[in-house]
Amino acid sequence: MFIDVSDLRKTYTSGMIKNEVLKGIAMKLGKGEIGVILGPSGSGKSTLMNIIGGVDRGDSGKVIVDGIEVSKLNDDQLTEYRREAVGFVFQFYNLVPNLTVRENIEVVSNISKSPLNIDEVLAEVQMLDKKHRFPRELSGGEQQRVSIARAIVKNPKLLLCDEPTGALDFQTSRSILKLLQQVNRNFGTTILMITHNTAISAMANRVFKLRSGEIVDEWVNQAPIPAEGIEW
Amino acid sequence: MVMVLNKRLMRILKENKLRYLGILVLIILGSYTFIVAAGLSQNLAVLVTTFTEDHVQEDLSFSTDRPISDVAELENKFDALIEEYMSFDAKLSDTLTLRLLSETKKVNIPAIIEGRTLSRPGEILLDPAFAEANGYSIGSQIKAQDKTFTVVGFVSLPHYIYPLKNVNDILYSPKEFGVGVINREEFSDIDNAASIYSVKFNDRTRSLNMQAVELRKYLQVKGFTVSNWIDIMNNKRARIVWASITGMKTMSVPVPAAMFLLSSLIIGIMFWRIIRRESVIIGTLYAQGYRRRELMRHYMAIPLVLAFAGGMIGSLFALPSIEPMVMAMISYYNVPVPGIELSFLNVMIGILTPMIFLGLSSYMVIRSELKKSPAELMKGDKQKAKVNALERAFKLERFKFSTKFRLREQFRSISRLVFLLLGVTSASVLMLFGFTVLNSMNHVFKTSDVYLFEYEYTFRDLQYGEAPDGAETFNAGKFYPENNEEIEFYITGIEPDSTLVILKDNKGNVIPNNQTNITKSLANRLGIKAGDTVTFINKEDGKPHTFHIDAVAESYIEQFIYVPIDEFNKKMELPEDSYIGLFSTKELDIPDEKLSGTKSMSQLPEAMDEFMGQMISMVALMTIVSSVVALIILYLVTSLAIEENRNTISLFKVFGYRRGEIRSLILNSSTFVVVTGFLIGIPVAVASMGSLYGYLGNLINLVLPPIVSPIYVIISFAAIMLTYQLSKCMCAKNIDTVSMSEALKAGTE
Ligand SMILES: Nc1ncnc2c1ncn2[C@@H]1O[C@H](COP(=O)(O)OP(=O)(O)OP(=O)(O)O)[C@@H](O)[C@H]1O
Ligand SMILES: [Mg+2]
Repeated sequence: MFIDVSDLRKTYTSGMIKNEVLKGIAMKLGKGEIGVILGPSGSGKSTLMNIIGGVDRGDSGKVIVDGIEVSKLNDDQLTEYRREAVGFVFQFYNLVPNLTVRENIEVVSNISKSPLNIDEVLAEVQMLDKKHRFPRELSGGEQQRVSIARAIVKNPKLLLCDEPTGALDFQTSRSILKLLQQVNRNFGTTILMITHNTAISAMANRVFKLRSGEIVDEWVNQAPIPAEGIEW
Repeated sequence: MVMVLNKRLMRILKENKLRYLGILVLIILGSYTFIVAAGLSQNLAVLVTTFTEDHVQEDLSFSTDRPISDVAELENKFDALIEEYMSFDAKLSDTLTLRLLSETKKVNIPAIIEGRTLSRPGEILLDPAFAEANGYSIGSQIKAQDKTFTVVGFVSLPHYIYPLKNVNDILYSPKEFGVGVINREEFSDIDNAASIYSVKFNDRTRSLNMQAVELRKYLQVKGFTVSNWIDIMNNKRARIVWASITGMKTMSVPVPAAMFLLSSLIIGIMFWRIIRRESVIIGTLYAQGYRRRELMRHYMAIPLVLAFAGGMIGSLFALPSIEPMVMAMISYYNVPVPGIELSFLNVMIGILTPMIFLGLSSYMVIRSELKKSPAELMKGDKQKAKVNALERAFKLERFKFSTKFRLREQFRSISRLVFLLLGVTSASVLMLFGFTVLNSMNHVFKTSDVYLFEYEYTFRDLQYGEAPDGAETFNAGKFYPENNEEIEFYITGIEPDSTLVILKDNKGNVIPNNQTNITKSLANRLGIKAGDTVTFINKEDGKPHTFHIDAVAESYIEQFIYVPIDEFNKKMELPEDSYIGLFSTKELDIPDEKLSGTKSMSQLPEAMDEFMGQMISMVALMTIVSSVVALIILYLVTSLAIEENRNTISLFKVFGYRRGEIRSLILNSSTFVVVTGFLIGIPVAVASMGSLYGYLGNLINLVLPPIVSPIYVIISFAAIMLTYQLSKCMCAKNIDTVSMSEALKAGTE
């Protein structure tokens, strides 16, 4: 399995109050698959994804990504892991405001060993003609495209998307999802995506339903539908 | 509610302690320099003016070939006070000379600053610096010219405020020279004492220069041969002190102004940020019925309190340091100090100016935000700042990513860029200024390669014939330009094949002495260049003479025109083979009574060492101050940049940037601005140097070359870069503490 999480636990302690956010999570995702995590707010989705992405740590349990035991890495090794293997897409895009579109993508290509051609990636997300604009001169959907381009330019093995369509309208959301699906197909990138929106799970290979830090449901889609077909 | 708001102020202050401390230090430095420099110059000016007026400083002095029999008649005729006094240089040792002066009653009246006046024979009043340097106290005995004197007091003399041995010297050392006042009667058995007339005109409304010219003409008509005529304006003993006063006065404005300007800029930037960050809160408070005035008062409190505190602390430090500083200056100049005035007005200026500066800048920034409607404000920072012209103007595609990032970082905030540039430039100017003064002085006093003789003898009367072995003859006359009698200088006839006066051009090539050469300092002062033909008036006979200048020599200490002695004699209609003085490599055995002056070149170094020692400590102080200023500025800018970039830094961490890579991107983004600021500092330092020197040149007949030597540029650059590194180290921790969750949670709050 490409992602193999077993018995992952995480507790936040603030003062006297203990908040068990992840209560022994076990999940698996195959290489080249799209996985979707569903669940109500506060159920621990982001926490789980951050641990898989190497920006946070669990208290116990195992996290293996493409044979790397992420849960055993020290801080420097985690940095290298993120640098090499993981691409991030955020709900609020997180572009660097004083860099142009192209330069925002360079932020990542600059540190990766064998980045894809930036213009090709921009063409892929249909933003080539706006590459000299600054983020504040783009719409939300356009910004999210740039953010996806930035995530995939280093050709990561794993693409993590935390509610990538959370701030977008229906039409724009669908085009972003389509783009993600296209990336998954063209580059064989494994994608793990968080969403509130159950409809989106139709395009996933595997779906994990989280509630209060536990996976309460989990299923496999034998035939994921193309993003164009999603309705809500 | 107001109480609650005020609590917030404390929190704002606490959050960025170091930053506000930095601003505070800038304000303190500004107020301190202002109050000290202004206090120093004002006090000195008052002391000197009071002294010279109360003790009747001469307007001019001169000697004559025979005594003037009816001084009273002359006084009446010219409505002046005229008093004759005696002067004799007693050699106390090989290196120590005490100039004995007779006590005067009308002009240049001695001021007793300690002890009592002369009452009995065998008593002497001493110049205090001389007394201290050579271990004479009141009551001790001093032997001079085979007489023993008892020191009964210390004295200041209006015409020896800066006790130079020769009027054309620049430096003196109390270990080598001093003056003492004795009773006139003591001179009865001293041979060869010079008799000098001092003149003070009563009519201060008419041009003193005109009155002097008339007096001189009259004396000539009466058949007197006048020598050693020196107007007070050309008398360094009286004028050099004004150079210090003016220097202090000039310092008292630009340095504090730069500090206040920098603090107001940075406070403006910081408040703009705070207020934008809080625009939602402001909007909400507005909506709840707060008045603009109340909010304004709330935000203005910090800059005003900061400026007030800085001004107060600066004044508190400055006031007690004025007196010791005046005393330190006075140890250099001999002026009585009846008391030091501490100016209340200066303190007010020192406190109010920073309040006005900071108040104004933050008022403008805050107002621009508070003008908006509550609804607009409550929308918050979402209407993001526009891309500024600078960011858009630059096409950066061909650069490396790291270069692009750093450039963008700088262009992003023009006010921050201006602040950084201005700050680094002023710190560099301050630093270079110090080093350049040091360098100029050093250069000026390195005359050993121009004058290869050890002794200079000047005779009372013209001499004829050949010079003794190891010596060369010279002849000299005082001249002034046709239209400007204020500028006086010597034209000296020297032997055309002289090996004792070696003039060099600016490339270091030797200039032949068989032509007419002018020293650079004089050329600058007169505005003359090689190839010019100029006419000067001989001060002795008032006749014009024309000279064709062949070359300009790189010599700064002396203001001379050199011509071959034969040509000089012919022009002045003096006998062939005549001369007035000798340059000699060794001491010559010439009877004292034949000489009007002897100058030993080896006297210079000790005075110079002392002077340079003081200079070096001053320059060191300036370097430290400018480094502190640079450090504060760089720290402020860097920490602001980090704060503005928190999200970006966090994002970079998420993307897998290594710690060193992030530090390098963020911290090194100012490097090119720092370097540029420094480079701008060089011409600015030279230019301000040039104007200050030009001013000093007119004031005290001293022209200094504003030379910025590469070594000092490198040292200053190293100092600036070192502070830059230090500021980066101070900020590196702030970068490391930015957590990744900031990017992960961005937009959710
Ligand atoms: N740094 C933290 N310190 C303390 N508690 C935290 C921290 N981060 C998250 N939590 C808590 O962990 C729980 C899970 O948070 P998480 O962000 O994973 O939820 P989520 O499922 O992503 O929710 P949402 O859909 O709203 O993004 C929440 O109850 C939250 O309060
Ligand atoms: Mg979340």
